[in-house]
Amino acid sequence: MSEAVVMKNVSKQFKVLNRHEGLKGSIQDLFSRDYKIVQAVNDVSLTVMKGEIIGYLGPNGAGKSTTIKMMTGVLEPTEGEILVNGLVPYKDRTANSENIGVVFGQRSQLWWNLPLIESFKLLRDIYLVEEKDYQDMLELYRSLVDIEPILHKPVRQMSLGQRTLSDILAAFLHNPGIVFLDEPTIGLDVSMKARIRELILGLNEVKKTTVILTTHDMGDVDALCRRIVIIDEGKKIYDNDIDHLKNYFGSYRTLRMRLSDDSWVEKVIDESKTDVMHVIAETQKTSRIKDIRLEEISTEEVIRKIYEGGQGA
Amino acid sequence: MTSVRKMTALTRAGITESLQFRLGTAVTLFANLIYLALVYYLWKAIYASSGTDVVNGMTFYDTMIYLILATAIFNFLEMFIVWDMSRAIQSGEIIMHLLKPMRYRKYIFWSYSGSLVMSFVQTFIPTFLVVAIITRGAIPMGWNLLSFAVSLLLALVVNYNIEMLVAPICLYTESTWGINIVKETIVLLLSGATIPLAFFPEGLRRVVDYLPFRAVYDIPLRVLLKKGGTDTWQGLLPALGLQLVWCIVLSILGNLFWNRAVKRITVNGG
Amino acid sequence: MEKSLRQKRGFLFYVSIYKKILLQDLKSKMSFRADFIISTFGMVLTNLSGFVTFMILFHNFPSINGWDYHHMLFLYGFSLIALTPVQCFFDNNWNLRFMVRSGDFIKYCFRPINVFFYFISEVFDVKGLGQFAFGLATFIYAWAHIGIPVTAVTIAEAVLFLITASLFMIALMNFAAATCFWIINSGYVMVIMFRFKDFAKYPASIFNGVFRFIFTFLIPIAFVAYYPSLVFVTPDNVPLLSWLSPLIGALFFWLSYKFWMLGVRKYDFTGS
Repeated sequence: MSEAVVMKNVSKQFKVLNRHEGLKGSIQDLFSRDYKIVQAVNDVSLTVMKGEIIGYLGPNGAGKSTTIKMMTGVLEPTEGEILVNGLVPYKDRTANSENIGVVFGQRSQLWWNLPLIESFKLLRDIYLVEEKDYQDMLELYRSLVDIEPILHKPVRQMSLGQRTLSDILAAFLHNPGIVFLDEPTIGLDVSMKARIRELILGLNEVKKTTVILTTHDMGDVDALCRRIVIIDEGKKIYDNDIDHLKNYFGSYRTLRMRLSDDSWVEKVIDESKTDVMHVIAETQKTSRIKDIRLEEISTEEVIRKIYEGGQGA
Repeated sequence: MTSVRKMTALTRAGITESLQFRLGTAVTLFANLIYLALVYYLWKAIYASSGTDVVNGMTFYDTMIYLILATAIFNFLEMFIVWDMSRAIQSGEIIMHLLKPMRYRKYIFWSYSGSLVMSFVQTFIPTFLVVAIITRGAIPMGWNLLSFAVSLLLALVVNYNIEMLVAPICLYTESTWGINIVKETIVLLLSGATIPLAFFPEGLRRVVDYLPFRAVYDIPLRVLLKKGGTDTWQGLLPALGLQLVWCIVLSILGNLFWNRAVKRITVNGG
Repeated sequence: MEKSLRQKRGFLFYVSIYKKILLQDLKSKMSFRADFIISTFGMVLTNLSGFVTFMILFHNFPSINGWDYHHMLFLYGFSLIALTPVQCFFDNNWNLRFMVRSGDFIKYCFRPINVFFYFISEVFDVKGLGQFAFGLATFIYAWAHIGIPVTAVTIAEAVLFLITASLFMIALMNFAAATCFWIINSGYVMVIMFRFKDFAKYPASIFNGVFRFIFTFLIPIAFVAYYPSLVFVTPDNVPLLSWLSPLIGALFFWLSYKFWMLGVRKYDFTGS
């Protein structure tokens, strides 16, 4: 296996005008040269292997989109080096875009008024895809998902789910080495989410496409990613297998107890430190326990613990 | 009282917003100056070629002041209501507006008021002063300024009502560009903003006299330049009265049309 | 491998892509008939309004700066034709500021084709053709009345000068649109630039030194009709600038393109 993406000590700063509050403030702004530096990405190093699906997570404003924009060549890093498929994206945007696909959730990149199939044909011509490869890809799509109902529909008439589906298909059409998916399942219903996850998984399996996925939906992570990278305030705070994550927090259990007044109480317990039976005994001193459930900690809770606690690993 | 506060809150917000357009302000001022130069030289050449000083009762300075201030009024009054409403309809945002306690028509007016105040101060007044200085006293400075202010305010309301009468067409068609250009072309030509109404041939002028558009540009400018007998009460009051009548008529028509058009939203669910 | 692919995307590649997008776009436009009718009506109306203004002016003043009715009409027709390409092919510039502000612009940066081409190719404005027809009729009428000879040379000249003259307005609108990468209310810049075009139809000889310089070299609306028309209107006394206008047009367009692309590279894409 070789590397699809290599990032070395990458930082990105933005210059933002300091805006002042209210009427008086904006009169000041009219003349001020008062800028502040926002550190969107701070010294992030990251290597992604070919064929991997990684989950790139972090709270809102953590710097996920900025990272992706740098990897796609739209933004130039302030410091550090990025190589995508062996190219420096910002210097060689056109060549880089040859071999990547990008989906920004809720922001269609297709021709708004054209039926999907016409968008596909245009993309085929733009990326200079051989006719045979194009037909094979359509065949593959048909085997993975029911595309007939949307193929002849203009994008503007599609539901959000259909649009996202179309965008994902379009991103894979020229068989790129890497596909970036920025919150692809945002705002979708449960069944559409499931279909989209299956599709991504299927394409990754057949085409060995590297997928870099940002999401807030832990369902996406559980279904797709074996490895996750978490950044917060521009800094990388976690980068490892998802299994490792669960092992690391493996000693954690969620203990749910139904008390005498039928209310459920939830406690996250670190078994290496606290004994479950001890917690139950303590609780019983104040109230009778009618029912008990002991659950593995969910990915969602693990991630939340990492966001809250800063350095998790 | 509370509603007044609500409205001034919108005005303040609008002022704040337009102040944040820093560089944009400078660019607009600069571009306006160049535009003024264009108008100046064009009409200077036109008058020079005609051989007489007064054409249709307008001297060169009269025409200059008329056209430049028409441009300044255009910049000052310019509202993008058609565009705003069309975007609000297409994004479904209009539903949110309909839920707000302030009526949508009123809401739009007051949310524009801030930027109107700003553009009055930032573009209209400087332009007015520059014109007054350059033309060396060709603008009469007296009671006519006060009548002009009143007339301008009425022009603003007429213009807003024209916009509000046209904008709901967006509920029937997506052709925002088309609607806007038709509106703008008609208003600019028939109001005298492109070429003073005094130059219009007799027949066309009679038609224009019966249309609301001259209430936006021609009447205030005539009042300012004391043309058409507006320097006497007998001339001034009918002119202002005509503007007032158009305010009322257009407002009623706009309200009727809006109420009718908005039913489409409730029926179609956006 | 990347090299060879880029070579494949030459001029013909872009022509063929543009043709395909155009064809699809026209097909989809047919499905918005009401929009098409209203827009065309609006376009016809603006042209009519311009013409009415022109007639009113000549109703009061028989000549302007030595240019009589038919010569002015020639200039007018010339400007209308020269202003057609910016309307038909470069109309998407008007959407640039909205797309940049909302962050949607980023989608143009992910394809292996020229960003400017990709963005501009997305909109073809059919209604500009009405203006073209209007301008052409005026142009031919004035041409005949002035008595300009109809030879292969004059026709070739007319085509060349009309095309290059149109580059000036396209370039102006490129510059105006690209300001949105730096300033917030660039809408005004565009509106004002667009209004300048109204003066393309007047002889630039009416301006004094400073302003003639400005309208020749800084905001070169004098090139949209005045300088190139002199080749036909005063064939015995054509200034050098008229002959150079195709070259200057190409240069000015290239500069505007570079400026536009600079905006794309410098922009933060924070609008998301």
